[in-house]
Amino acid sequence: MSDAAVLRVDDLVVGYASEGEVLRGLSFALEANEIVGLIGASGAGKSTLLRSVQRLVEPSSGSISLRGEELTTLGSTELRAARRRMGMIFQEHALVERLTVMENVLCGTLGRTGSWRAIRRRFDAEDVVDAFRLLDRMGLSGLEDRRCDELSGGQKQRVGIARALIQNPELLLVDEPTASLDPAASVRIMSLIAEVCAESGLAAIINLHDVGLARRFCPRILGLHEGRIVFDGPPRDLDDAVLTEIYGEEAVEPHVVGSRQDDVPRVD
Amino acid sequence: MSLGPDRTTFPVSTDAARSWRPPPRIASRSVRRALWAVAVLYAALAVFTVDVDLARVAEGLTRASDFFGGLLRPDFVTRWTDIRAGLVESLAMTLIATAAGFVLSIPLGLGASRNLAPAPIYAVCRSVLAVFRAFHEVLVAILFVAMFGFGAFAGVATLAVATVGFLGKLLAEAVEEIDPAPLEALTAAGSPGPSRIAFGVLPQVMPRILGLTLYRVDINFRESAIIGLVGAGGIGATLITAFARYEFESVSAILILMIAVLFVGEPLSGRLRRSVS
Repeated sequence: MSDAAVLRVDDLVVGYASEGEVLRGLSFALEANEIVGLIGASGAGKSTLLRSVQRLVEPSSGSISLRGEELTTLGSTELRAARRRMGMIFQEHALVERLTVMENVLCGTLGRTGSWRAIRRRFDAEDVVDAFRLLDRMGLSGLEDRRCDELSGGQKQRVGIARALIQNPELLLVDEPTASLDPAASVRIMSLIAEVCAESGLAAIINLHDVGLARRFCPRILGLHEGRIVFDGPPRDLDDAVLTEIYGEEAVEPHVVGSRQDDVPRVD
Repeated sequence: MSLGPDRTTFPVSTDAARSWRPPPRIASRSVRRALWAVAVLYAALAVFTVDVDLARVAEGLTRASDFFGGLLRPDFVTRWTDIRAGLVESLAMTLIATAAGFVLSIPLGLGASRNLAPAPIYAVCRSVLAVFRAFHEVLVAILFVAMFGFGAFAGVATLAVATVGFLGKLLAEAVEEIDPAPLEALTAAGSPGPSRIAFGVLPQVMPRILGLTLYRVDINFRESAIIGLVGAGGIGATLITAFARYEFESVSAILILMIAVLFVGEPLSGRLRRSVS
């Protein structure tokens, strides 16, 4: 057990009153620079895992530590400080649609900007410069003052990525970033996430329902089945037997879960 | 070419189709008949209970003709100073009460939202809003006139209370219907509570609340006339004085001016509403 781990999850159990246990004792560690794809059927607990790392759902037992700092026992102030260090990218981008692109990106700085300043839109000049730089990196230059409800799905997701990155996170938690996108846009968004992670040495956990995308962009894959990790390894070890274990008997047909790499559309 | 079903290959029994009637809304025939009987009986009793005294109707007709005659000859001039003062006071009462009510309704409305407030605060805010809406403006005005004396202040207080009850409840309902995802994203970024509300909640509900506030301006102006009748200032006070003096020409002028104010306000508030959405 090295201390280089960015995130270490130990024997994590999460239950909802209505559905019983969703995660039944998960353990894994994430090194700096590591991009992990999380795959599994709907209801396997992928989103719950990401949300419990942020403590948007409270774990029932087990431990989660961020660079050695235990998260499960933090009080509200320390928890907010810890959340600032983890950027989250959401399934349906979760932008405030009536606010502008710039305001949405700067929402990522609310954790370090005082409420009184933020409400008067007095954002730190450095943060504004950062936001412009990130929007440029996302290919959204010139859209700063557009309202988010005028953007396309792919553009919204880029704003969501910029909002997560402006936190200067040590870890990205990415929840089905391509769920509402067409295949070509999905590949572009995944490439972008992979690139920015590589550029800034970020670790990331990415929930994906598309095994093809996971194979292509994630050097390490965790397979979740009914709240347990049933696979942890590189994409080349992800054979039909493993996929059957993760998704169940019905999904062995390669095209159903995209187990072949060439199922993923190429974008040049 | 017809897109419908091919009638030659799918012959339909026309007898069944032609004898089809929509099923009755009340299935049981005896219940239907009983309801009709109750309705007829009620109408008959209602007619007999109203004691129409023809002599008094005849006497009233002459007064009614005076009244309507007066209404057809509006007189803006004789009482113009009073009318203008009353209208200006009503407009001032409306604007002050709506603004005060809007400001006060925000904390109460947020506190009365189940998805934001902890249970005790929720209960307190909901109760306050319920009490504010429990009594008709006229009753509240009578109370405030007794407390603060005759005049516009009692009127402003009355309208402000009514506005808080109205906007607070509708704000709470709007907040309970917001998309929770952006708010959760702000939580995940470690945002403090006030920032979460300012960025995650208010942008989602403000257009609707501003629209309702403009609508409330309308209501408050009309109510300002009613509560004036019980001594809470405004055009209502002028109106009841004119009635008391049998100056139906002035009454007519006042009513016409009130309609004019609402007419002028309508496109104005419409434009404002469109610009905030």
